[in-house]
Amino acid sequence: MTTQQHMSKQFDIEMEAVRSGVLAMGGRVEAQLVRAIAALSEDENPELLDTIKRHEKEINQMQIDIDHQCAQIIAKRQPAAVDLRMVLTISKVVNDLERIGDEAKKIARKAARLQGNERLTRIQYFDAIHAGELAQAILHRALNAFARLDVDEAVAVYDADDRIDVAFDVITRQLVGFMMEDPRTISSALEVMFVAKSIERIGDHAKNIAEAIVQVVMGKDVRHASLEEIRAEIAERK
Amino acid sequence: MRPVVFSWLAWRRRWLNYAATGLSLLAMAFGLFWLLWILWTTFSLGVSGLSLSLFTQMTPPPGVEGGLANAIVGSLLMVGLATLIGTPIGIFSGIYLAEFAQQGWLGELIRFMNDVLLSAPSIIIGLFIYAVYVAYRGHFSGWAGVLALALIVIPVVVRTTENMLRLVPTSLREAAFALGAPRWHMILHVTLRASLAGVITGILLAVARIAGETAPLLFTALSNQYWNTDLDKPMASLPVVIFKFAMSPFEDWSRLAWAGVFLIVIMVLALNIMARVLFRRKTI
Amino acid sequence: MQKQETALTAQICFRDFAFYYGGFHALKNIHLDIYQGVVTAFIGPSGCGKSTLLRTINRMYSLYPGQRAEGHLSIDGEDILGKDVDLNDLRKRVGMVFQKPTPFPMSIYDNIAYGVRLHEHLPRSEMEARVEWALRKAALWDEVKDKLKQDGTSLSGGQQQRLCIARGIAVRPRILLLDEPTSALDPISTLHIEELISELRGEFTIVIVTHNMQQAARVSDYTAYMYLGELVEYNKTDIIFFKPAKKETEDYITGRFG
Repeated sequence: MTTQQHMSKQFDIEMEAVRSGVLAMGGRVEAQLVRAIAALSEDENPELLDTIKRHEKEINQMQIDIDHQCAQIIAKRQPAAVDLRMVLTISKVVNDLERIGDEAKKIARKAARLQGNERLTRIQYFDAIHAGELAQAILHRALNAFARLDVDEAVAVYDADDRIDVAFDVITRQLVGFMMEDPRTISSALEVMFVAKSIERIGDHAKNIAEAIVQVVMGKDVRHASLEEIRAEIAERK
Repeated sequence: MRPVVFSWLAWRRRWLNYAATGLSLLAMAFGLFWLLWILWTTFSLGVSGLSLSLFTQMTPPPGVEGGLANAIVGSLLMVGLATLIGTPIGIFSGIYLAEFAQQGWLGELIRFMNDVLLSAPSIIIGLFIYAVYVAYRGHFSGWAGVLALALIVIPVVVRTTENMLRLVPTSLREAAFALGAPRWHMILHVTLRASLAGVITGILLAVARIAGETAPLLFTALSNQYWNTDLDKPMASLPVVIFKFAMSPFEDWSRLAWAGVFLIVIMVLALNIMARVLFRRKTI
Repeated sequence: MQKQETALTAQICFRDFAFYYGGFHALKNIHLDIYQGVVTAFIGPSGCGKSTLLRTINRMYSLYPGQRAEGHLSIDGEDILGKDVDLNDLRKRVGMVFQKPTPFPMSIYDNIAYGVRLHEHLPRSEMEARVEWALRKAALWDEVKDKLKQDGTSLSGGQQQRLCIARGIAVRPRILLLDEPTSALDPISTLHIEELISELRGEFTIVIVTHNMQQAARVSDYTAYMYLGELVEYNKTDIIFFKPAKKETEDYITGRFG
């Protein structure tokens, strides 16, 4: 990775501003996810949903701002090579972060409904909470990988996402079991199902972020490549 | 916005500017004053001598009515032939210097010699021709005058041709070469053509210069009181006649001399204006 | 990215090529194949030798004593460095356009006809057809068709440059060398010329030297990055500008060159 500075200091400043903007937004989204998972596992907290909604608005505004900065850089600096890849990637990453924020809000909303419904106990959807914590961890990893432009860390996110997918299958099967045993749990089980789907999506978005990082660093589009292919590519590079 | 502050420095700058402008205006007025005086004198004294007989009658003995016909024809013949001989030699030498010998000792040597010739007093040229041609032939002649004048034309034309050719950008030459043009073709059709106005200007200035030369003709063509178009005989010319008549105590001779001066001044002025117009039109 | 996967023929081949200005070793060990019918750009900082390399292809350097080339350089398999090479014929095959427009001091028509007359004796009607063809190719015909007798220097800078391109292609070369053809032009004229380069691609092999990296990215199919007389990287333009293989190239095109 090129670490040398641009001849234009202003360009460096602008790129740095966008990068740190993405990290700040990532931090916000992460906190949002933590709140949403907390809403699942904690007792009733009427203010939490409002807090989440308020933060969601700010996150949306951050996405708009960062996209605007990217457009400005493209218009003014005509970035090439690594800079171009960086700007394109940031645009994608920001999009994924915003979607993760949306999913977090959905989880919080479902959590609020589950609170008032005692048909399904927290023990019964413990696996969903666990998967949520897993999603939180891989989002953290993806953001770390972005901050350091670390390919190995990014590839680790792929693995973690596979585990979330497995967890989603397990949760689905469990919920189907509950619903067959006691049809009164159906509406609650559906809520949990949506939560699980949101968590699965968050995993996918984190994976997208990881792929974008690999693209910045290696200049290769790895969106539809298998993990083995990517690993081989990384090994070749070293 | 803050108003502009007139500091002491600004005041000084302004007055220095006025002073410098004033001084240069004064210097210009000084130079122009003499030039206008000369032109005025020439005009006022020359016009009175102008008449048809000036162009039809020969230079007279003192006390007799006459004109400058033989001197005018002599001047035209010698200046014309000198230009005809000197110009091609000058142009070809200029081309050689600019296109073939930009560097190298031979080019430098020729350039140096040419500069010496250019700044040599014209009387030396006259004496030179006297020594190698007039003394050898045993008599003064129009040809000797032509040779002397041609020797003055050559360095002027060499210099202007070389300078004008050098003003042609290298890229223009390269562009012609890049199309596969041989060197001679490129020079003839591109560089010489691009600098044509400048070269012609140089020739006109050379003509203007020799039209008024007296010294090189004194020892070569001498003068002739009679109508003569035979270049092997002594030949009259305007400058020499002026020289002779102006120094005489005779009233009518001196009036003819002023008329001759007037003719030369008009001609030189016309050539200069022509050169200027030509140069301006082509270069801008 | 995969618009032209058909096999390309190497037309201009540099092998172990070196160039000297007197004692100065300006180009070192150049190995380069320039392909037929595509646009190749040379980029690099000032003094890197890109113009020097360009000017070897029509042996422009032979005009100047003290400049010499070593190694091998061939066009269509024919060695062009030899002593017995007919330079006028070589330059008929390899046209060139310079940084500043260089219209000759003659009419627009004669500017175009000048080069043609050097190599061919065409009857009047054919010559007129050729002039029109060249001016049309250079996208200048509509602007000058009513003033062919006017002096070439009376045109605007951008038109003059297109006139020079027309003059270059009028002799029907196979290769066209462009030495920073737009550096003296305004943005609109630059766009005209770039458009023209895209139009001429395929019919001519075009080699362009440019200081403007975005221009190289826009108009060329292949890009060679040079630094200090050496060829650092040569590849498809798409690759050079998105993911160059060498760090030096990446630093240069992202403006990190210090």
